[in-house]
Amino acid sequence: MSLRVRLLGTIVGAIVLFFIVSVVAARLALTRDLMAQGRSEVTNGSNAFAGYWDSRKDQIRLLISQDAVSDALRKTLQAHDTKALQDQLSNIARTSGLSFLTIVDTSGKVVARANGGDGGSFASNKYVQRALTGETVSSAVLMPQSELAPEGLAQQAAADVSDASKTVEHLASGLTMIAAAPMSDQNERTLGAIYGGVLMNHFYDLVDQSTHALGGQTAVLQGNAVVSSTISQQDGTRVIDARVDAFDEHNLRAGQPWVGSDVQGGTQYLARLDPITDDQNAVIGARWYGVPMSQITSIINHMTETFMLWGFIAMLIALCVAVPIVQRVSNQLAKRSEQVSAAAKELGVAIVGGEVSGDHVAATRSAVERAGVLIDQLAGEKSGKSIDELKAVNQELVGDMIVIDTLSQEMSSRLQQAVTRVSELNDVASVLDKLVHGASAK
Amino acid sequence: MTDVILFFSSNADTMIATKALKDAGVSAKMIPKPAAVNTASNLCLSIDPGSETVAVSALRGANISLGGVVK
Repeated sequence: MSLRVRLLGTIVGAIVLFFIVSVVAARLALTRDLMAQGRSEVTNGSNAFAGYWDSRKDQIRLLISQDAVSDALRKTLQAHDTKALQDQLSNIARTSGLSFLTIVDTSGKVVARANGGDGGSFASNKYVQRALTGETVSSAVLMPQSELAPEGLAQQAAADVSDASKTVEHLASGLTMIAAAPMSDQNERTLGAIYGGVLMNHFYDLVDQSTHALGGQTAVLQGNAVVSSTISQQDGTRVIDARVDAFDEHNLRAGQPWVGSDVQGGTQYLARLDPITDDQNAVIGARWYGVPMSQITSIINHMTETFMLWGFIAMLIALCVAVPIVQRVSNQLAKRSEQVSAAAKELGVAIVGGEVSGDHVAATRSAVERAGVLIDQLAGEKSGKSIDELKAVNQELVGDMIVIDTLSQEMSSRLQQAVTRVSELNDVASVLDKLVHGASAK
Repeated sequence: MTDVILFFSSNADTMIATKALKDAGVSAKMIPKPAAVNTASNLCLSIDPGSETVAVSALRGANISLGGVVK
């Protein structure tokens, strides 16, 4: 693998790694921060929904208190004109948005109801009893069917609670905001009590107003069952009479609110369940407030896609810058490498020449020694053959001397070239050093 | 038997060839270029005729360009 490929591969790898790590880190950080922000938003929305709830409860208490001191009602009650009293209660209930409004005498026996019904007793109703003792009370309560039916509200409250298209519970009681206040004559003697309220089951004014003002979706739970909500099914109808598993899973009956993911109507929400308690702080239901999880995940996905797009663009820009630089560096290194290679080859020739020359000098020495021996023999024998051999040896010596002379000249020339090459090698070393350590390196 | 003469394009190649043949175990003697040989080098190598095949193989293995052979 060439240096160019390795350098480009390293740069691309580093950019891709940086890119991936950045995207993953950004996504994790976004998820954490946006979920925290979402939980904060849901908590604030839930608190505001609780404010609407409390405001409605206070409004009912105020209405009942005002009715309790109404001269018209008191006079009619004192006159025992049941028919007139029913008409008055009916008008008040209709104009005030109350589900029921009833007046009882001092024994708790019903005198008149807004719906026209008669008979019945609230002698065992603790709120009415407290009102008859002079106390004005208001609370969220679970109204039993025995109290709902005389008020004509049993049908509104009755529901089959389903869980995944299967009926799991039948509701006969109703979650009601009630208030009760004593009615007294001008001498402060108790004449009876007025008792009224709003049944929340299948009553949508409060959740619609809250959702309109706060955004998100709201619902009211009786126990773990949705009895009123603005949450929509996939077909656009309201989610109603459905069980919310989170109520039991997170033990809302302990009185602590819960925030988390909840699926209602086929949509995932970041939701908060806030317990509804009666006047004894017993949990009888919950307020559900949620925002679609898609609001959060769409931001995360959009930001991630933006990071990826810009990261990809940055990678392309980085590559456009890196490729020419790598090309230039590679070319310089290749050129310097060729210089080093040529220099090394010349030095190699010089070294080999030295070795070969040495061998030849040794051979020449041997020839000269043989000539010496022959000359010694010639001196002793004076033979013609020896003279011929001496001539041959002499001829060989001449050849060897020519060789040595040539080698000598060649080696001299090569050594001069080697000196030049060494200088070039120093130059190459300096350039390579600058390449490695930067232009300021010495 | 007359020796075989190997010649090369330069004196440097001749020297490197001498070393390569020595490493390959072929006895080669450096001699002045005979008048009949046409090359820029002043030197040639003289080897035993029986070693020619081995010598040529050794030079090829050492990536040395052989200018020619004179027998």
